[in-house]
Amino acid sequence: MNLLSILIFLPIVAVLLILVLPSAHQQRFKYISLGVSLIQFILSVFIYTRFNNTSAGINKEEQFQLIEKLPWIRLDLGSIGKLEIDYFLGIDGLSMPFLMLSALIMFVATLASWEIKTNLKAYFSLFLLLNTAVMGVFCALDFFLFYIFYELMLLPLYFLIGMWGGARREYAAIKFFLYTLFGSVFMLLVIIGLYFSVLNPATGNHTFNMILMMDPGNYIEGSVFSAIAGQSIFGISARLLAFIVLFIAFAIKVPIVPLHTWLPDAHVEAPTPVSIILAGLLLKVGGYGILRICFSIFPDSAIQSAWWIGLIGLISILYGAMNALAQTDLKRLIAYSSVSHMGFVLLGIASATTEGISGAMLQMISHGALSAMLFFLVGMIYSRVHDREISSFRGLAELMPQFTFFVMIAFFASLGLPGFSAFMAEAFSLIGAFTSEDVNGLLPRWMAIGASVGILLSAAYFLWTLQRMFFGQIRLKGGDVWKDQLVDVNTREKFALVPLAVLALLLGIFPSLLFDKMNASVLALVQLITG
Amino acid sequence: MEGLNFLENRGLIALLAAILPLFSFVFILSSKRGGGANFALSTISLSFLLSMYLFSHIWNAEPEHKQFSWFMIGKVQFYAGILLNNLSILMMVLVSGISVLVHIYSREYMKNDPNIHRYWAYLGLFCFSMLGLVISDSLLLIYLFWELVGFSSYLLIGFWFSKHAASQAAKKAFIMNRIGDLGFLTGILIIYTQFQTLDLARLFGDGGLISTSSIENGLWISGSQQIPAIWLSIAGLAFFLGAMAKSAQFPLHTWLPDAMEGPTSVSSLIHAATMVAAGVFLIARIYPVFDPLVLDIMVWVGAFTAFMAATIALTQNDIKRILAYSTISQLGFMVMALGIGAYSESIFHLATHAFFKCLLFLAAGSVIHQLHHYCEKYKHNFDHQDIRLMGGLRKRMPFAFFGMCLASAALVGLPLTSGFLSKDSILIRTFEWTATREGVFVILPWLMVLTSWLTAFYIFRLVFKVFFGESREIKADKLGQISDSPVQMKYVLLILSFFCTFIVFAFNPASFESSWLWKGFEVSMIREISVYHWLVPLILNLGSFLLIFITYRIYVLDNGPQSMKGTWLYRISNQEWFFNEIYNFMFIRSVERLSLLSYRFDRTVIDGLVISMATLTKTISSIIDWFDRRIIDGLVNASGSLSRYIGRFFKNFQSGRLQHYLTTMLLVVLSFFILSYLI
Repeated sequence: MNLLSILIFLPIVAVLLILVLPSAHQQRFKYISLGVSLIQFILSVFIYTRFNNTSAGINKEEQFQLIEKLPWIRLDLGSIGKLEIDYFLGIDGLSMPFLMLSALIMFVATLASWEIKTNLKAYFSLFLLLNTAVMGVFCALDFFLFYIFYELMLLPLYFLIGMWGGARREYAAIKFFLYTLFGSVFMLLVIIGLYFSVLNPATGNHTFNMILMMDPGNYIEGSVFSAIAGQSIFGISARLLAFIVLFIAFAIKVPIVPLHTWLPDAHVEAPTPVSIILAGLLLKVGGYGILRICFSIFPDSAIQSAWWIGLIGLISILYGAMNALAQTDLKRLIAYSSVSHMGFVLLGIASATTEGISGAMLQMISHGALSAMLFFLVGMIYSRVHDREISSFRGLAELMPQFTFFVMIAFFASLGLPGFSAFMAEAFSLIGAFTSEDVNGLLPRWMAIGASVGILLSAAYFLWTLQRMFFGQIRLKGGDVWKDQLVDVNTREKFALVPLAVLALLLGIFPSLLFDKMNASVLALVQLITG
Repeated sequence: MEGLNFLENRGLIALLAAILPLFSFVFILSSKRGGGANFALSTISLSFLLSMYLFSHIWNAEPEHKQFSWFMIGKVQFYAGILLNNLSILMMVLVSGISVLVHIYSREYMKNDPNIHRYWAYLGLFCFSMLGLVISDSLLLIYLFWELVGFSSYLLIGFWFSKHAASQAAKKAFIMNRIGDLGFLTGILIIYTQFQTLDLARLFGDGGLISTSSIENGLWISGSQQIPAIWLSIAGLAFFLGAMAKSAQFPLHTWLPDAMEGPTSVSSLIHAATMVAAGVFLIARIYPVFDPLVLDIMVWVGAFTAFMAATIALTQNDIKRILAYSTISQLGFMVMALGIGAYSESIFHLATHAFFKCLLFLAAGSVIHQLHHYCEKYKHNFDHQDIRLMGGLRKRMPFAFFGMCLASAALVGLPLTSGFLSKDSILIRTFEWTATREGVFVILPWLMVLTSWLTAFYIFRLVFKVFFGESREIKADKLGQISDSPVQMKYVLLILSFFCTFIVFAFNPASFESSWLWKGFEVSMIREISVYHWLVPLILNLGSFLLIFITYRIYVLDNGPQSMKGTWLYRISNQEWFFNEIYNFMFIRSVERLSLLSYRFDRTVIDGLVISMATLTKTISSIIDWFDRRIIDGLVNASGSLSRYIGRFFKNFQSGRLQHYLTTMLLVVLSFFILSYLI
């Protein structure tokens, strides 16, 4: 059995175990989940150390690593040909970092799940199912398989938000579900269109193989998405339309302004572990999808739309930061800050330069760790006093010095203090966006300069929050009762926070830990996009 | 043998010197409560010794450049390394040396603070960042330390974070510095785009990329790379913006006076002697990037800042605030000097200023410290930073008085002090430079002379109010309770006093050209005009002495002209030119309002759109539902009902009663006959 399959299906095994165990053992479920993510993390570290840095991947199947390719569905459809769906997994420099991130975030989210008290069997079953889906998305190289994992993420998330969430959980769950479904339904149309446009040269069948879709030579002459045929739908080039549809599907997850409004609601209503997964992983699936699918399969359309994508990134950065500044609820503030920080990912990707895409990748990993940390910290306050209004707290630094210490790390790392990963990531996204005009002429320079204002605004909202909640004299809404409830960080919480902080610090000081692994892939991707 | 190798490896020594304080930061922070004073002091002392060792080997000798590959993006390799030349080695000694003194001073000054370990840890972080900043060899690294310096300054300003004003000031300092950082970052973007490297040696060294790049036909060309020439100016302006924020130049100066909320020892180290000089250091380090346009802007920004800050200092009453504005003013001098090309003069002034300004703060700190203890001891609460409430301390605190007088003399630039050499050198250069310029530049040197005279007034106003005359708040009989500060603090004042004299910097007290420090840097291109070399100091000092005398008459003999209080000039000065109010109104309020507006937009318009789409879908589906139930299902039901009616109708015929059948048959036959008959 392949390592990747173990990584993906280990949680399913755990789900089966949980389902057969009687509910009397339900206090042990979290340890099962914790064990699973720990094993996954060890496996992913193993993969990381054994990873071949020089093998680019992207559009060369033979350069992918840990490939597992099994014929899965073969159905003779008569005149249309033979249905060819593979169980096709493999990783390159674009996906490998996400495996580690996923395992880490799942670990932290499990530690945050200690606060879940009801219906543990269902909770951990769904939680582990989500784990499988996320891992699968990052490994799948068959578009059909990818789509299955992609949709599989929605189901557990819907229930996790809808059943264990806050007061308006059902509203938020449905909003989240419909929003993302809206994107992916149209994606399915594009997948079918691609299927009928692409032939596997080896077998002569239509195929869902993503890597084959990246080679213009595999397209049937005159097919819908053939670059040479230049078909159009509603007067728009079919390839451009397909690109836009796919982009919107993924961009909803990122999210972009103006398709972001599911995010604040989902985050605020979701229980802490789900917020952590949402921010730490789900948003990254969006960014990963844009790179792996939109930009790789439709590079021509990507270049056509780069200016707009850059603009969307810029708007997301500034608009998200502005909204974060206006928040009175700490969790909502962090949700909006996510919108702002993910804007840098879009800006970096849109630049289609090595600096920009490397920066965007680093930003995704970095934001994964930091947003998980931020939501975990908010969850800590909320689980203690069931309040997270900024104005309800004051002078927490004196009351909870260690908690404040972690908050300061998370805040300053997020606002781009050098030494932490977010700084490198944002700096290189900006460098990429700025050099783009000279390298490939995609983005104008003012976009990078405008986006740098986002860095200023992020300092403003984080420091303002710090000042309002943590400094000054102690003054709590709940008075002395709260004073007793607001105990400092405990050991379990430290186990969750320390790895995230260490990751952010490590990547900030030694970005080569990540860059070395993905340089070859990024170069190949840039080559693929800009030709 | 190995030890010898280590001493040979200067890069490593510099690295060690910088990292030692970081070690102290980590160690003290993780070891929790337990002081940490000795540990912090010993690491920084070791740093200082290492710096001195490096200084003795590198000053006026070959620069040392060591680098190693840091990371690689695509095909571009980024290096991290150490570049030691006269400028950085001077800064190293300056920073570590003053840090050692401030550490010693702080042992007494910060004694009994419950969170003292955090203080030592933060100081360690600051020293690490500052030393890292001065030895870094790439713009990216400098930026990294640049922000870390800002961060440690944030921590130290907000050291007493339970005080609202302190946390407010810390936030303000960080955010205003962030504005500058954006400029710095923009500069990096431009340089990287043009040269694909951020390496100082490759960019600015001899035959570096900057000097070999050229401007032709409005294009800035370097090798095969070319971008519009305007970006060279923008890059210069962007870096200058960074320097403006850090060195508190107009219009980004308002954070520095507020930063005085931090402990005085911190103000002395960070907000007077070292960190605020980082802006000037940056300009000096990347000097070749500035084109004539940017240099001219630098001149006016520096000159205006110097003048404006001096006018504000005239009427402030908080002892630290006066000194803060004095710092801003002196930094203005340095920036202006760099703008006119007086490079070595500016660095010279940076060095002398570091000592006398540090001394001013520490002397003021002694006064504050002793008054604070008096307040605590006698439960006599008054604002012990307000100079209007002080007075007559000369006899009670001779060390502080002596230090303060000497430092003030240096600040004003009176003969035999270090300030005389450096400040007058800047002014002489300004006169010489202006001789080659026309138009509005003519007023520049006179503006600077005026500023110098104002300096004499405000600093001696402070000295006279604090140390002369009668004690105003403390009763004369209680005055005896106040004594000079503890011995450690006194020694620090004495050492610093020594460094305010000319002898440290030059053997000839009258000529800055004899200074070893001045000679350590490239002599500027300004054409010398010898008459200025004696005329300018003469005018300056005559004026200064006159003003000091007038100040004495006003504040000690109470015999001056009518008070200016109430006039609009006084109000502008006292209210600090209303910058805080203007910024508050123009930026903070408007950003706040904009953010609320955008949130409302988000809720009502964007989310409103989503929700109304949902509502629309729901409405449509309920219409369809109605249609489905009433029309489509209605039709189905109707056809069902119809057949039921028909069925029921015919069912009646099948009643099974013969009478009915006969009657029906009869009716049918009868009607048949009737019909056929009629037709």
